[in-house]
Amino acid sequence: MAGPGEAEAKSQACACAGGGGGGGERDMAPSAPGTSSIHRSGSRPQLDLSKAEIQGNFEERDPTILLPNQSDDISHLALDIGGSLIKLLYFSRHEDYSNDDDKRKRTIKERLGITNGNLRSYPVLGGRLHFVKFETHKINECLDFIHSKQLHRRDPYPWSSKTLPLGTGVIKVTGGGAYKFADLFKERLGVSIEKEDEMHCLVSGANFLLKAIRHEAFTHMEGEKEFVQIDPHDLYPYLLVNVGSGVSIIKVDGEGKFERVSGTNVGGGTYWGLGRLLTKCKSFDELLELSQKGDNSAIDMLVGDIYGGMDYSKIGLSASTIASSFGKAISENKELEDYRPEDISLSLLRMISYNIGQISYLNALRFGLKRIFFGGFFIRGHAYTMDTISFAVHFWSKGEMQAMFLRHEGFLGAMGAFMSYEKHGLDDLMSHQLVERFPMGAPYTGGNIHGPPLGNLNEKISWMEKFVRRGTEITAPVPMAPSKTTGLGGFDVPSSRGSALRSDASALNVGVLHLVPTLEVFPLLADPKMYEPNTIDLSDQGEREYWLKVLSEHLPDLVDTAVASEGGTEDAKRRGDAFARAFSAHLARLMEEPAAYGKLGLANLLELREECLREFQFVDAYRSIKLRENEASLAVLPDLLEELDSMSEEARLLTLIEGVLAANIFDWGSRACVDLYHKGTIIEIYRMSRNKMQRPWRVDDFDAFKERMLGSVGKQPHRHKRALLFVDNSGADVILGMLPLAREFLRRGTEVVLVANSLPALNDVTAMELPDIVAGAAKHCDILRRAAEMGGLLVDAMVNPGDGSKKDSTSAPLMVVENGCGSPCIDLRQVSSELAAAAKDADLVVLEGMGRALHTNFNAQFKCEALKLAMVKNQRLAEKLIKGNIYDCVCRYEPPSLSQM
Amino acid sequence: MDPQDFRFSTQISHLALDIGGTLIKLVYFSANGDNFEESSDGSIVVRSGCSVVEGRLCFAKFETRKIDDCLEFIRFNILHHSSGVKHPNGTAMDKLSVKATGGGAFRFADLFKEKLGILFDKEDEMHCLVVGANFLLKTVPREAFTYLDGQKEFVQIDHNDLYPYLLVNIGSGVSMIKVDGDGEYERISGTSLGGGTFLGLGKLLTKCKSFDELLELSHHGNNRVIDMLVGDIYGGTDYSKIGLSSTAIASSFGKAISDGKELEDYQPEDVARSLLRMISNNIGQIAYLNALRFGLKRIFFGGFFIRGLEYTMDTISVAVHFWSRGEAKALFLRHEGFLGALGAFTSYETQSHNNDLKSYHHTVEREIVNCSDDKIRHMPVTANLNDGETIECSINLV
Repeated sequence: MAGPGEAEAKSQACACAGGGGGGGERDMAPSAPGTSSIHRSGSRPQLDLSKAEIQGNFEERDPTILLPNQSDDISHLALDIGGSLIKLLYFSRHEDYSNDDDKRKRTIKERLGITNGNLRSYPVLGGRLHFVKFETHKINECLDFIHSKQLHRRDPYPWSSKTLPLGTGVIKVTGGGAYKFADLFKERLGVSIEKEDEMHCLVSGANFLLKAIRHEAFTHMEGEKEFVQIDPHDLYPYLLVNVGSGVSIIKVDGEGKFERVSGTNVGGGTYWGLGRLLTKCKSFDELLELSQKGDNSAIDMLVGDIYGGMDYSKIGLSASTIASSFGKAISENKELEDYRPEDISLSLLRMISYNIGQISYLNALRFGLKRIFFGGFFIRGHAYTMDTISFAVHFWSKGEMQAMFLRHEGFLGAMGAFMSYEKHGLDDLMSHQLVERFPMGAPYTGGNIHGPPLGNLNEKISWMEKFVRRGTEITAPVPMAPSKTTGLGGFDVPSSRGSALRSDASALNVGVLHLVPTLEVFPLLADPKMYEPNTIDLSDQGEREYWLKVLSEHLPDLVDTAVASEGGTEDAKRRGDAFARAFSAHLARLMEEPAAYGKLGLANLLELREECLREFQFVDAYRSIKLRENEASLAVLPDLLEELDSMSEEARLLTLIEGVLAANIFDWGSRACVDLYHKGTIIEIYRMSRNKMQRPWRVDDFDAFKERMLGSVGKQPHRHKRALLFVDNSGADVILGMLPLAREFLRRGTEVVLVANSLPALNDVTAMELPDIVAGAAKHCDILRRAAEMGGLLVDAMVNPGDGSKKDSTSAPLMVVENGCGSPCIDLRQVSSELAAAAKDADLVVLEGMGRALHTNFNAQFKCEALKLAMVKNQRLAEKLIKGNIYDCVCRYEPPSLSQM
Repeated sequence: MDPQDFRFSTQISHLALDIGGTLIKLVYFSANGDNFEESSDGSIVVRSGCSVVEGRLCFAKFETRKIDDCLEFIRFNILHHSSGVKHPNGTAMDKLSVKATGGGAFRFADLFKEKLGILFDKEDEMHCLVVGANFLLKTVPREAFTYLDGQKEFVQIDHNDLYPYLLVNIGSGVSMIKVDGDGEYERISGTSLGGGTFLGLGKLLTKCKSFDELLELSHHGNNRVIDMLVGDIYGGTDYSKIGLSSTAIASSFGKAISDGKELEDYQPEDVARSLLRMISNNIGQIAYLNALRFGLKRIFFGGFFIRGLEYTMDTISVAVHFWSRGEAKALFLRHEGFLGALGAFTSYETQSHNNDLKSYHHTVEREIVNCSDDKIRHMPVTANLNDGETIECSINLV
């Protein structure tokens, strides 16, 4: 690995030449020449071979994913026009509103060897992929949508910012309609269609999604979805079954290596076609919905019907096995009108799904494939369809094979068409660089049709108000992302039957895919493949219901706080109402269909709430509370430091840890603690809380930690080189708890990196706020002041950080890095590049607070030492996790995990 | 042995039933008059202690829902003829035991007992199918044939090279059986899209009253009206890259999704045709895939669904030919509908005597104008290859 200085130099060169040096760290090169104000949107130290691969792509003249952020919304699109649905996929980039002049960031960059990256780049993202559907017979709606977003006037190469003159654009399109509607596109939008091979698109789309999205695939047995993590290196070969109007069965052996090995003409078109003739349903969805209430035994001839209710067990057929689909309809005295449409729909669905499953199994068997992925519009996340297919595969293969489904099942072709643009760079994206978010409309719609886009938040709120009021027949507006929130984009409008929430509980939502090339896997994870951030698995119904209820109950307080944070204006109230409504809808949706948004952990749920707040432009709901508490805590800090300095080393260490645990009580995320706040001043609560810290704590590894810090008889400890302190709340928590601990490390010559949120979440302190807090603390403390100066945290400091470290080898810098997220929890698979860089030399990770040390990462294993500190401020969690009670404490010290050493 | 017992056993071997979900298939032995007389004398004793009765195997079928017709047929046509033979106890109708297979052997056991005094001796369905097929393939010349492009071609089966083969029995549903030898077989697959599906969906869609009516309709239809062809999707061009011609069906009934057209707007003929192609094609494909699994080159299709109907056989053959790239062959049986019934019939005797029957007496098939007599007014109107055919044979009696 190159040293920091070297890397910086190299990056400058690479920005132009690209490709050159092996092993050096390079930044993404800027494109769109001529705009000097353009920032690079991220930095990416080269940490492993996979990264080298990514870099390799930049040997092209134009860099790929990471492009300078433009002042306008840059978009591009690809389409898959099928017989019944148009799937549209478009990419957008958004304005970068951060500034790069922050002294902290410059210092961090220099110190950590991050080259000219834009550290405020998250959540200003590389871009977003939006997934949208239209019905093919309403192609004009689709054309209007494209036109209103001006998607067609972009350079065919989506990463270029040029707006094309009318009549010169080219759009990649796949599906049969690519041929059929070419003239229409030319006429209406003045763009040419470039037809992409359907099969090729399907496969490359599936390959991309399976590799890039962590839990893209899931199994579906007896109504239970289970997300499956696919190892990108162990994906091939597999069988891809695309169930569209007809069915294509494709053996995929690798990137671009595939063969259509089979197919069947009994597919989605057969279901819908026969279904229409037999039931008079007006839409595919209507037909599917009918099937939910059907009983196929009214029409199908079952084994039991033939054997007089008995099984034909000799050959393994139970009485309820269908012997002959529609076999009962031969009865003489019954006409079509005498059968329930519901039953007909279900019989049809079972017949076709089962047949598809069987033929797929037989083909998988031919080639010895264990995994069969099913996609295409027929499936639509419909539970019964998936169950039937899975059953068939399971039954015939005797459990040897797995039928799996894809969350983006309908978009494989469109995704592939998008991939077929040159230099899109998507191939190189890895799962940790993608974040999927669900905008406010998701729970209302579930993903059907589109209308013209809405320009701003106001129109969006109006749309939602209208939707909620009428609950039906809203076909028009589609909210569009306001430039400064992260959560929005493609948005689906309710289907015509429109109840407030989709009644088809099984349908899955597809969110907006944020491409964040600056995100990295935290390098200190012992085994990233095995890492699971969530401690609580919300697929457990009891847990899910509990936490959804907790969030629901907390909602009114949160809305009040958020509205107050913006002065309680009418506008803020309106947005607050809209937020409450939208978030409640999310919760209701998840209650109804836990897998609607993919694999759901508590961390995802808490982040969803923060994103939802941001979506309604509540940038920082706890801003004033945080300021007030910071001020109050800073005021009592000198007394505390004085008290600490008067203690012996051993007593001090204990008091420090007690202090961290005690101060962690100041948490606005905990209902119990909010109630406490009204009972006294900060320092009173803090001291009271600390005095109650009677050891042994519920989880108490303090002695081991102490031995590591202070050594034992005859054994001198070696000091830590660098400690990463993941901080939690503003106010007392960070100022009276974590800062004194940081000071202790600094005093021992250990470099300290405070790791804080990139974006606000509840009253959590952010990386943006920390420098001011540290500066405030440094006024009363030389240790902190010197370290902060070295770390570049004091804006007016004149010290050159490089010089400082040379002059005094025992003094260590105090730095601040952002973690890359805006949630009270942290998923260490997706952290900022600056945190990843800071982690390189770290030999201790300290995780503090419920969100980061308990809800997530409680079981995380690290390559270095780890200290997990938290007060449990939830009775249920205390019981579940540590078999204890509310306000119990966790002090978990773990030596480096050996699993990956 | 008591000659009276011989007579009795001769008597019951006159009839075997295969009662399926849709059709009842009946095989009965009609002894030649003189032979019958001789046997009633109890005088014919052939070597090895076997007695031989010359006669014909006759076939008949009824729709299961018209089971009363079947009961009447049996009462008048068979029991009547054999009424001369009394049960040793003198109660002719008492406790007469008849071999029966198919699901209906369970379902209608009480009915037969009550109405005809017949007790079913239930035989395993799959076993009967296989035994019946083996019997036909080994003993009846020109039993198997291929059908491709309108050409019917009889295939001489070498007895020593019969196994293994795939037997696909298309009844209401479809069973696929791998046959490795006499009595060696395994049901390896099946599908619920079978004859029952054709008739069931067909009835709902066309108001046809019978299977034959539906088949007749399908003769005059054009599936392109309702099926979505590859050409419909690709604007008339082939998707040759993957070997699909523009006339290949991309999606059965796929065109019916278009707005504005209701069931009434389609010709029943076209609907019937699309349905037939969908089901035949699907059966052909699944059969091929199963044959492929076990490396079987010959697939015999049987069951009432086929009925010697050219278009059905053609579609199945094309499917097998297409998917196997000519490697596997679809073969059909002239007595396709009666495999189970024949199997049940032959199961009257012990295995060793079945073998005797096959080896000593070559069966001769002969066209017979009508196997029913005037007394039967409700003979099913099904007209196909098998109707009116009998197999001349002799039966060994212990």
